[in-house]
Amino acid sequence: MQGQATQIIHAYRQAPWRVQRQWVGVFLLFVIGAAMIAALYLDVTARAAIAGREIQETRFEITTIQRSNADLETQLAKLTSTEEMERRALALGYRPVQTGELDYVAVPGFVAPEPAILLAAEDVTVPDQTLPSEYSQSLLEWFDQRFKLGGAR
Amino acid sequence: MRQQYAIRSLILVAFFVLAGFAIVTQMIRIQSSNEAQLFLAQGSRYSGEFQMVYPERGEIYDRNGHLLAGNRTVYEVGVSLKEMKDPHALVYTLAMYLGLKQEDVYNQLVNAPATWEYVVVQDYVGAETVNSLQGLVKQLNDADNPRLEGIAFKPHFQRSYPEDSLASNLLGFVARDGRGYFGIEEKYNDLLAGNPVQVWVPSDPNKAMDIPRVPNGTTLVLTVNRDLQSKVESILDQSLTQYGAENGTIIVMDPRNGEILAMASTPRMDLNNYSNYFSLYDNGSQYNRSIGIAYEPGSVFKVLTMAAAIDTGTVRPDTTFVDTGAIDVGGITIRNWNRDAWGQQDMIGCLQHSLNVCLAWVSTQMGIQNFYGYMEKFGLGHPTGIDLSGEAVGRLKIPGDGDWYPVDLGTNAFGQGVSVTPLQMLMAVSSITNDGRMVTPHVLYAMLRDGHQYNVPSQYAGSPITAQTAHTLNDMLSTSLELESSQALVPGYRLAGKTGTAQIPTEYGYDATHTNVSFIGWGPVDEPQFMVYVWLSKPSASIWSSETAAPVFSRVAEQTVIALNIPPDVVRSQIVNK
Repeated sequence: MQGQATQIIHAYRQAPWRVQRQWVGVFLLFVIGAAMIAALYLDVTARAAIAGREIQETRFEITTIQRSNADLETQLAKLTSTEEMERRALALGYRPVQTGELDYVAVPGFVAPEPAILLAAEDVTVPDQTLPSEYSQSLLEWFDQRFKLGGAR
Repeated sequence: MRQQYAIRSLILVAFFVLAGFAIVTQMIRIQSSNEAQLFLAQGSRYSGEFQMVYPERGEIYDRNGHLLAGNRTVYEVGVSLKEMKDPHALVYTLAMYLGLKQEDVYNQLVNAPATWEYVVVQDYVGAETVNSLQGLVKQLNDADNPRLEGIAFKPHFQRSYPEDSLASNLLGFVARDGRGYFGIEEKYNDLLAGNPVQVWVPSDPNKAMDIPRVPNGTTLVLTVNRDLQSKVESILDQSLTQYGAENGTIIVMDPRNGEILAMASTPRMDLNNYSNYFSLYDNGSQYNRSIGIAYEPGSVFKVLTMAAAIDTGTVRPDTTFVDTGAIDVGGITIRNWNRDAWGQQDMIGCLQHSLNVCLAWVSTQMGIQNFYGYMEKFGLGHPTGIDLSGEAVGRLKIPGDGDWYPVDLGTNAFGQGVSVTPLQMLMAVSSITNDGRMVTPHVLYAMLRDGHQYNVPSQYAGSPITAQTAHTLNDMLSTSLELESSQALVPGYRLAGKTGTAQIPTEYGYDATHTNVSFIGWGPVDEPQFMVYVWLSKPSASIWSSETAAPVFSRVAEQTVIALNIPPDVVRSQIVNK
């Protein structure tokens, strides 16, 4: 009885349609895997292309905005030029001050502020020492440092 | 049945294998064919394009952050000939909007060489014109009307000067070739212009990051004070009219560090319309007379002679000299400006009355070696090193030169036979206002690039005299100005200075009718914060400096103390005492 059952199982395992299904299954698995990789690749490539196009457009926008800024800055300078400001001041009833008409008040500790154009920029005449040693020392220097410190941090 | 299916399957497999093989073979054949390079070239033609990227030219500001030179967008208007649908409509529209002749535009578009794909119709077209033209194109496009198809607008920058002619002699200008001419624009052209770069701009969006970023030109901040510059130019223009002078120049400098606060010359031109250059100037040296033209300065030079004499110990302020009205130097008789004999004078009197005879005597007492040695140390005959293009060096004849004569020792002492620029005089005399140290004049305060600020340090050009000599001269020139009741004085402020009236040399000797009038002065005497040099050429109202250049100095000094917030001496002493 037991031998018969073993034979049936053996016959079932060796049935030609079952072997074919196994091959078809492996092939389908390969196709599905390839399709998934292809889809993933397509998706990533499409996203990269969209991002690239956005970068191109952003760069174009930056250039346009820079042009616009330069134009506006020049227009503003024109509107606040010496000649224009003097004309407006005179029209408002002001007149140039004379030396004897000025009152001077001493304000202890007062330092005249620098213009905005200079305040906006970092002064590099002061040496910048904020770069951590990890970014400047070589591997040998790091080993040497660790050795001297005895492994303590 | 199974056999039949097997044959069909084999036929199908064979078909697909053959088809695949054929495709692969064709691919290999195409790629290795003679036309392969042609196909590759066609492909790469559309893969991107080379573009020359010109960075935005750096801006120029005054010391208080006012824009003196900026940029504005202008357009190149052109036509893509391949896309052109209606040449007649394009010709009519472009001619009307751009103010061109229809025949010219027609010739450009219709008679262009066959190989041309694009024609530039006009460049440097203003934004307003282009905006209205773009509006018309858009209207037609919206209505699916292709009549103006092919028209193209390429934006780019053009230099713009919002203050028009203000500080034009100092700034210089940028022509359409993108190069700076004169002044700051020429001197710092490389920094301002940045580096034009030819970049490959790929059409492939995946390569968008490959496009390099081209940094803008360096922005410059000048030492000039815009408001003071404006006032000084206004005073100069008024003075030319008032005294009938041909030309003039005024410089205001901080003697402590050599910073030029204002530098005005005539004539000036609207920098936005630089095509006027040739109608205003005969040659480049006239563009900025402060540095470009050397002249015989006359008696302002006596300051240097006296400084050298005191420093060598030849004379002291109380040294007396009996002026007989004439002195013989090298076989030539030298006389005073009014040909009078002024009797006994101390050295302050010699400066106060500007006595040529006295100063000629001083230089002869000092000796040739000492006199010319000091003049060399004062930097005469050499450029000051100011950071502006077009500086003249003047001429200091020295013994050994073919055209030097013994009488020159006497005449040079009062500023005759020696030529200097106004700025050279200012630099030399800065040693008297600055404890004996001579400053190098400069106009650049700082540079700004990529968010960093680079400050320009002050430089000193040696110490020709001692601090003690400088203080002595300071007192002498202040006292002489007060004793003279000079028109150069400003109420409330103790100032020092010296007039200079010089005859003008010509090919046939000195001009008998015209003079150059000058004044060099500074203040406040106890703590000099400004120096002023005035030079008016050929004034017709008076030939004397005391009646022309001196009052001009006074007006400039008044405006300078206001602009620099310098309180009167009394107020300053109260502040110090607190």
